[in-house]
Amino acid sequence: MADAPDRPPVAPGTPPILQLRGIGKFFPGVIANKDVDLEVWPGEIHALLGENGAGKSTLMNVVTGIYQPEEGEIILDGYGRSFASPQEAIRAGIGMVHQHFKLVQAFSVAENIHLGWDEAPRRISARVMEERTRAISERFGFPVRPDARVADLSAGEQQRVEILRVLSRRARLLIMDEPTAVLTPEETRELFRALRAFRAQGNAVIIISHKLDEVMEISDRVSILRHGRRIATFDTGDCTPSMLATTMVGREIVRRNMRARPPGAQPVSATPVMGLRNVTMLDARGVESLRDVSLDLYGGEILGIAGVAGNGQRELTQVLTGLAAPATGQVLLDGAVMARPDPAAFARAGVGHVPEDRLRSALAPSLSITDNMALREYAIPPVGRRGLYDSRAADMLARDIARVATVDIPDFAMPVRNLSGGNQQRLVARREIRIAHRVLIAAYPARGLDIGAIATMLGYLTELRDQGVAVVFISEDLEDLLNVSDRIGVMFHGRLMAVVDAADTDMETIGLLMGGRDGAPMSARGEQ
Amino acid sequence: MIALLSGMFATALLAGGVLALAALGEVMAERTGVTNLGVEGLMALGAVVAIMTVANVPNPWAGLLAAFAVGALGGMVFALGAVIMRASQVLCGLAVTFMGLGLSTALGHSYAGQPSPVVFGHVHVPLLSSIPVIGPGLFGQNILIIPIYVVLPLLVHFVMFRTRHGLNMRAVGENPAAADAAGIPVMAMRFGYVTLGGAMAGMAGGYLTLTYVPVWSEGMVAGRGWIALALVIFAGYRPVMVTCAALLFGLVTTLAFVGQARNWPIDPAFLNMLPYLGTMACIIVPVLVWRRMRRVMAAPAALAQPYYRDVR
Amino acid sequence: MSRQAAFQRMPSVPARRILIWRAGAIACALLVTAAILALSGYSPPDLALLVARSTVGSRFGMEDLALFMSPLLLTGAAVTVCNRIGLWNIGAEGQFYAGAIGAAAIGLFVPAPALVLLPLMAAAGIVAGMGWIAIPTLARAYAGVNEIITTLLLNFVASLLTYYLTTGPWRDHVTGAQVSSARLPVSIPEIWGIVHWGFPIGLLIVAVLAAVMAHTRWGYEIRVGGANPDAARYAGIPVRARIIVVMLLSGGLAGLAGMFELAGTVHRLQGGMANNFGYLGIVVAVLARGSCLDVIPAALLMAFILDAGIVLQTQQLTASVVLAITGLMLFMIAIADELAHYRPVARMKKETAP
Repeated sequence: MADAPDRPPVAPGTPPILQLRGIGKFFPGVIANKDVDLEVWPGEIHALLGENGAGKSTLMNVVTGIYQPEEGEIILDGYGRSFASPQEAIRAGIGMVHQHFKLVQAFSVAENIHLGWDEAPRRISARVMEERTRAISERFGFPVRPDARVADLSAGEQQRVEILRVLSRRARLLIMDEPTAVLTPEETRELFRALRAFRAQGNAVIIISHKLDEVMEISDRVSILRHGRRIATFDTGDCTPSMLATTMVGREIVRRNMRARPPGAQPVSATPVMGLRNVTMLDARGVESLRDVSLDLYGGEILGIAGVAGNGQRELTQVLTGLAAPATGQVLLDGAVMARPDPAAFARAGVGHVPEDRLRSALAPSLSITDNMALREYAIPPVGRRGLYDSRAADMLARDIARVATVDIPDFAMPVRNLSGGNQQRLVARREIRIAHRVLIAAYPARGLDIGAIATMLGYLTELRDQGVAVVFISEDLEDLLNVSDRIGVMFHGRLMAVVDAADTDMETIGLLMGGRDGAPMSARGEQ
Repeated sequence: MIALLSGMFATALLAGGVLALAALGEVMAERTGVTNLGVEGLMALGAVVAIMTVANVPNPWAGLLAAFAVGALGGMVFALGAVIMRASQVLCGLAVTFMGLGLSTALGHSYAGQPSPVVFGHVHVPLLSSIPVIGPGLFGQNILIIPIYVVLPLLVHFVMFRTRHGLNMRAVGENPAAADAAGIPVMAMRFGYVTLGGAMAGMAGGYLTLTYVPVWSEGMVAGRGWIALALVIFAGYRPVMVTCAALLFGLVTTLAFVGQARNWPIDPAFLNMLPYLGTMACIIVPVLVWRRMRRVMAAPAALAQPYYRDVR
Repeated sequence: MSRQAAFQRMPSVPARRILIWRAGAIACALLVTAAILALSGYSPPDLALLVARSTVGSRFGMEDLALFMSPLLLTGAAVTVCNRIGLWNIGAEGQFYAGAIGAAAIGLFVPAPALVLLPLMAAAGIVAGMGWIAIPTLARAYAGVNEIITTLLLNFVASLLTYYLTTGPWRDHVTGAQVSSARLPVSIPEIWGIVHWGFPIGLLIVAVLAAVMAHTRWGYEIRVGGANPDAARYAGIPVRARIIVVMLLSGGLAGLAGMFELAGTVHRLQGGMANNFGYLGIVVAVLARGSCLDVIPAALLMAFILDAGIVLQTQQLTASVVLAITGLMLFMIAIADELAHYRPVARMKKETAP
C-alpha cells in the first residue's frame, strides 16, 4: 500500500524478470495448472493468492525446475528458458524458500548454506564454511549462528537460513511459499523489511500467501489463481481484502460471529470437565516443553489456544489426550486424576482428538478407509465383540462417518491416502466428534483447508460446543481463534502466558503475548 | 607372548580386511541413503571371479581388478532396481544376494577346491616391519593391508567430511528433497556410490580369495557380507570407525584360530560363532548402555527411502 | 511445447494390476534363464517339458511339490506375520534350525509313544523357534535395534550349532552318516504317498492365521501398528507388546516348520537340512504381499521352482542355478511391483483459451 517510495523505477523497454506463457502441469486426476500467464517485473513484490489446491505451489515448482511443465514456456529477461533441474534455475537467478523448509536437520547452518553450492571451494572444512557463512550473513544483514544445528533452531531462524542460502546464490527473483505461517508478528515485520530492501535493489519477489492482510501490506501487484488457472492480476493499491477474497473463492464470503449461541444450546457447565494442575513436561533433551501449566475446560465452551507453533502446543495436546504423562502435575477428568497416560482410556471417557498432522498420527495411509474409520471404535460393539473385529460393522461405521462428513467415497476398501487432504481432515474430525462426549482437542483442524472448508470445520466445533462438550481449539490463525473461542490462552516457550476473554481482546494483544510480552490487560490469568 | 600377540594382530588384520573393504563401501552407499543388502552376494561373485581371473592371467592385481569390476557391475544392477526404478531396497538387496551366491557357485563349479595359483605375496618394509606387535602385521604381510586400513578410510573420511562433494553426498542421504532443491543430482549421487559400494564388496571378495583363504569353495563367504552390513550400523556410518570395527572383528575371528591351535576345551563350532554373536552384542549393547548413542550414531535420516521428485 | 512426463505414479494399485505385472516379471526372468541355458548348450524347450512332466505332470511330481510346500507354507507365514507389523524376520532359517534342534532333543532323548512324543516335539520346536528370535525381539521392542541384521546373524549361529550337534554329541554312531544325528524313533505319519500330515496342518495354520488377521481385534491392531505405529499409539494400541507377540509367533512358526521337516521328511537332525527354506520364506512372503492366504499360492510357486531345480540337477545343472534364478525372479518382481504404480497419461491437448 504505502510502499511506493522504495520501489525503484523501471527503465522503459526492460523486459519482465519472469514471464510465464500458457503453463500447464498435470497430476493423476488433477489439473494442477492450466494456461497460466504471469509477468513479474524488476522491483516488484508480486503476491500469488489462491485457495489450497489452486496450484500456487505447483506453479512455483515449475518455475524453479523441480517440476517439468507439460505445456507452456518460461521466459526469463526476455529469453525463453527451460529448467531440467533446480540447479539450472538457481544459476539463472531464481531462488525459492519453500513452505516446508528444504534444510538438512542434522547439518549445521554453515553446512546448509553451502549445500550444492558450486562456487564454494572444493576442499572445505567446517571452520572455513562457518567463516564464509558469517561473512555472507553480515553482507546481507541476516544474522544467523553458523555453527548451530538446524534441528535446534526456531522456525524463524530456519527461514533466515533458507533466505540467506538463496541470496548467497545471487538470486534476482526470490520466491517465498507461505513465509509467514510459522513466524511471530515481530519476525514477520523483520521479514517484510528485508523483502523491501531486496526489492529496492531492482530485484523481484513472488510471495505465495492466503493471508489477505499480508498481501495488502507487502505486495505491489497480486495475481489470483483458482482451480489451477490465473483468474486475475491487480495492482494491490486498487484492491480491498474482501474483493480479493471473493475473487479467490469465486463467491461471496459471509463472515458471521460464531461465538453467539443459537437457542437451545447447552449452557457452559458450572464445574470444569477437564483440568490441568501445574503440569510440566520435559522433551528428549530434558528441556521443559510445558512449564507449570494450569487450565480448566468447561463443557459448552471453546477454549482457543494461540501461539507460534512449537511453543508447547504439541505437548499440551499430548497430556490432554493421554498420549504422554506429565513430568510433574496432574491431569483431571471429571474431577478424577488420570494416573496413567492411556489414549484408549481417554477416548473411552469421551475425549476426542483431531491431531496436528493427520496423515502421520491419526490415519494409517496404506490401510482402507473402513479400517481407518474404525480406529476409535474397533474395541467396542458393534465393531468389536469378544475379541473379534466385525468388518461389516466397521464398514457401516465408515459409511456413517462419511455421510455426516459429506465426503463422497466410491470405494471404502481403497487406501485412505487416495483421498484429498481436505476429505481426510473431515473424516478424522467426524470420527473424533463421534467419540467426543466430554472433550474435543482439535489441533490446527483448519490447517491446509481452503476458506469454505475452514468454515465447515469451525462449524463442527461450535456444534459440539452447543451440545455441551468442552472444546480446545489450537490454531495459529488469530482471526479463526477470535471468531469461535470463548476464551483464548496464549502459549509461549511452554508457558501459558494468559487466558483472556475473547470478547474483550484483540489481535494486537494476543500477538504481543505470542511474542512473549506480557502486554495483556492485567492478568486475566484464567479464572481460577 | 610378543610373538603370539604380533601373530594374532597380523591374522586379525588379514581376516578383518575383507570386512573393512566391504563395510567401507557400504558406508558410502548408506550415506547417500541406500542400503544394499546384496553385499554378501557381491562378495561371493568377487571371490570367484578373482580366482577365475588369476587362473588365466597369473597376476593377483588382475584378479583384484576383475573382482572390483564384477562388484561394480552387480552394484549397478542393484542400483538400477533400487535407485533408478525405486523398487524396494530390501527386496532388490536380497535378490542380488541370491543371484550372487547362485551365480558364483555355478561359475566356480570347476574351480572349487583348487588353490589360487597366485596370491598377493608378502612385502617387508625394512625397519617398520620389525616394530613389536604391530609391525609384522602392518608392514610384513600382503601389500593391501596399508591401503585397506590406512589409505582408503582416511581418503573416504577426507572426501566425506572435508570437501564440498562430501557435504553434498551426505545431504542426499539426510534429506534428498533438500539436496535436490539445492541442485544436487540425487539419483546420480546414489547410483554412483551404490556402484562404488558394490565394487568394494566385490573387491572384498577378491581380497578373500587372493590373500586370506586362497581357494574357492561354495559358502566360503560365510555371512561376511552380512557382518559388514552390521558393522556399518555399529560404527555409526563413519569410515574410520568402520575400519576399526572390522579390525576388532578380525581379532575375534583370530581368537577362534588361536583357540583351535592351542586346543582350548571349546568346540571350534562355538569359537566360530563368536564373530556373529560379537556383532550382535556390539549393535545391541551400546544402545542399552548409553541411550544417547542413538542420536550420536543415528543413521542417515532418509536411509532406505526411495526419492520421488515429480510426484505428489 | 511439450516436455512430456509421459508416466505418472499412482499412490495405490489394484491387486489385479500387480498380478499382471508380476506374471510379466516371472516370464521375463524365465526368458532370461532360458536364453542363458540355451547359450550354455541346453535346449530350453526340452528342459521345460522335462520339468513339467516331473512336477505337475505326474503323481510323484505332485507329491514332491506338496512336500516342498509344507515348510514353505510355515516359513512364508512366519515372514508374513512379521511383515504385517512392519518388520522383517530374515532369521526364519535360524529359527527353523532351532525348531529342528528342539524337536530332535525331545525325539532322541524322551522315550514315549508317538502319540505323546509328536505333540511334545512340535511344542519343543515352537518354543525353540521363539527362543531363537527372543533376543532380536527384545532388542527391537526395547532398544529399537534393527531386526533385519540381528535375526540374520543368528542364522549362522544356528547352522553352526546344528553342525556341532550332528558332528559332536548327537552324531550318528550306528550308520556313521556324516553331519547327522541318529534316526528319530517316530515320524509324522503319511497322508498321501510320501506327503505327511505336516502339509494339511500347514495349510490349516495359514488359513487360521488369515482369519485371525482379518477378523479379530488383535489382527486389526497388528494391521494398524504395521501401517503406522504413530496412529496405533494415538489410538492407544500397545505397539511394543504387539511387536513382541508377533515376532515370537513368527519365530514359533519357523520353529514348527523345522520340526515338521525333521519329523516328517528328514527323520534325523542334519547339517544343512534347512535347505534355504527360511530364506525362501522371505520370497514367499514377498510374493504374498502381506496376505496370509496368498502365502498358499506363493508357496506353491516356490515349491515348483525348487522341484524344477531338482529336475535340472539331474541334467548336470547345479542347485545353485536355482538360487540364481530365484534371485532374478525376486529382482524382476521387485521392479514390477514398483512399475505397476505407473500409468501412462494421455497428453492433454492445448485447448484454445476461452
